[in-house]
Amino acid sequence: MSAARIVFDAFALVAILFAGLMVVGKDPIKSVLALVVSFFALAATYVMVLSPFIAGLQVIVYAGAILVLFLFVIMLLNVGREKPDGSRRPIQTVLGSLSVVVFATLLLGMLRSSGTSLPPQREAVGKELLPDPAAIARLLFSDYLLHFEAVSVLLLAALVGAFVLARREEAP
Amino acid sequence: MTLVDWIILLLRVLLPALIMPVFVIPLTWLERRGAAFIQDRPGPNRVGPLGLGQAIADMVKMFTKEAVMPASADRMLFLLAPAVAVFAALSTFAIVPYASTLEVGGKTIPLIGADLSIAITSLSVYAIVLAGWASNDKFALMGGIRSSAQIISYELAMTTAAAGVVLAASSFRLPEIIAMQQGTWLGIIPRWNVFPQLLGFLVFFIAAFAETNRLPFDLPEAEPELVAGYHTEYSAMRFGAFQMAEYVNVMVASAVTTTLYFGGWSIPGFHPHGVVGAILSLLIFAAKTFFFVSVFIWVRWTLPRFRYDQLMKIGWKALLPLALLNLLWIAGLSAWRLSR
Amino acid sequence: MIGTIPLSDVLLASGALFSIGIAGALLRRNAIQIFLSIELMMNAANLALLGYGAALGTHQGQIIVFFVIAIAAAEASVGLAIFVALFRHTETIDVNKINLLKW
Repeated sequence: MSAARIVFDAFALVAILFAGLMVVGKDPIKSVLALVVSFFALAATYVMVLSPFIAGLQVIVYAGAILVLFLFVIMLLNVGREKPDGSRRPIQTVLGSLSVVVFATLLLGMLRSSGTSLPPQREAVGKELLPDPAAIARLLFSDYLLHFEAVSVLLLAALVGAFVLARREEAP
Repeated sequence: MTLVDWIILLLRVLLPALIMPVFVIPLTWLERRGAAFIQDRPGPNRVGPLGLGQAIADMVKMFTKEAVMPASADRMLFLLAPAVAVFAALSTFAIVPYASTLEVGGKTIPLIGADLSIAITSLSVYAIVLAGWASNDKFALMGGIRSSAQIISYELAMTTAAAGVVLAASSFRLPEIIAMQQGTWLGIIPRWNVFPQLLGFLVFFIAAFAETNRLPFDLPEAEPELVAGYHTEYSAMRFGAFQMAEYVNVMVASAVTTTLYFGGWSIPGFHPHGVVGAILSLLIFAAKTFFFVSVFIWVRWTLPRFRYDQLMKIGWKALLPLALLNLLWIAGLSAWRLSR
Repeated sequence: MIGTIPLSDVLLASGALFSIGIAGALLRRNAIQIFLSIELMMNAANLALLGYGAALGTHQGQIIVFFVIAIAAAEASVGLAIFVALFRHTETIDVNKINLLKW
């Protein structure tokens, strides 16, 4: 049981715990906050999986921007707690839970890794982490240039789309 | 990793977090005396010599006041917000190299908390949004929403300006950024990043004002418009926590500015050796940071506040394009250097 | 040495997160919380991708996740814009109540 594994397991457990809290929580704001903590823990696991650059992106973009956007929308719409007003029929809950259980069993049963493991972590004190950003940048701008440009067009389209969709309709 | 390594790591990370709040106390004194000086009045001068006791008196007042919480406030979030604010402020300091490496007992200890990215500043948005929402108060909510929109807008300009520095140094790591600012041009001008990237520095520094909610960008806590903005309903130590977080943020912003643009703990011609060298480099760093903190205070009491739409306009239409321009300029410069 | 992480740990964590996400997506009525569960599922997939990328010694895992994060950002903003527009018409976000094609 190596130190890296313990750290990874600890963070993964935190992420799973808070994800569970997110799913169970009744108040949407508390759900978002639980997810923020979960994403932070996930970013730490990304570091353990030798991807510090992506970990940084996860914190800046996912936890720092997307979830803030969720928070804003929840506040804007003043979405309250879920009220049990009988719009859910019991068959939905039963079938939903059943399918989740079946799916989880299948998924976790099927995950096999044939004993592979990640390459050994370097010493954290005083040594370099893998020089990711340079390598990723090189790949992004050579092999994946088209994908990169396509994603930027996608972001532009999303920007315009979000703006148009959320706009108040002018009174005729 | 031996036990000693773990202890050193822990100390490296915790020491700044524990020391920063102590510096907040003289900073409040400095702010009030500085404000008074600029406004041509004496300032606090009753408590202790030169009014230095005023800071202690303020601290005692904060601790002993009654902490009131509105009955309709969301209790958990209300209590969580100041904690998140302080946590975000203190952990951002972990990335700043505050002195050169210390060689003790054969181990080199780089004096920087951890190689985190500047991502942690995005956390501070949550503290404000939560404080605004949990207070269940119109003014607080408006202040909270405005402040978070302001922070995420200026975050972009700030990181793009910092990206220029990263590009010039070819590394994300702050100690390496300092290392590439050693030496001089023409024997006189230090090789600090501010000189080739003056535009980037200006964008970064102005964005830092917006990020820390300091005047001229402090509409979220504007007194005449919003009572006290997002911390209207907070009193006593909870309010003290927000104030502390704000001052720590100011110190961190100054520290990061000196590291990125002004050479951090180094001055040209100074090669630190051993413990004495480390202490000297720490003092140099402290002096530079102190200078920028004074600039923060100076600007606060000099410039009027921006209106909210002006604020957003500046962030998106002025600072972001300028930061991109700076990035282009640096990219061109680096390409030219490489081609030689 | 700090040691190594077995890939099965990574996959197990990813699978657990994904299952929790599916549970959230199927069992909640609040549209925003369903959306949050979908984001969780995407992150679970990211973890699996990064784990395999590191195990196989390639940077491609990180490149894919880079794009996934960008696309998730785009999709979140459009999705939330749809919710806002929807909420203006129906005053509710309960997905069981939003069951008309036209009103």
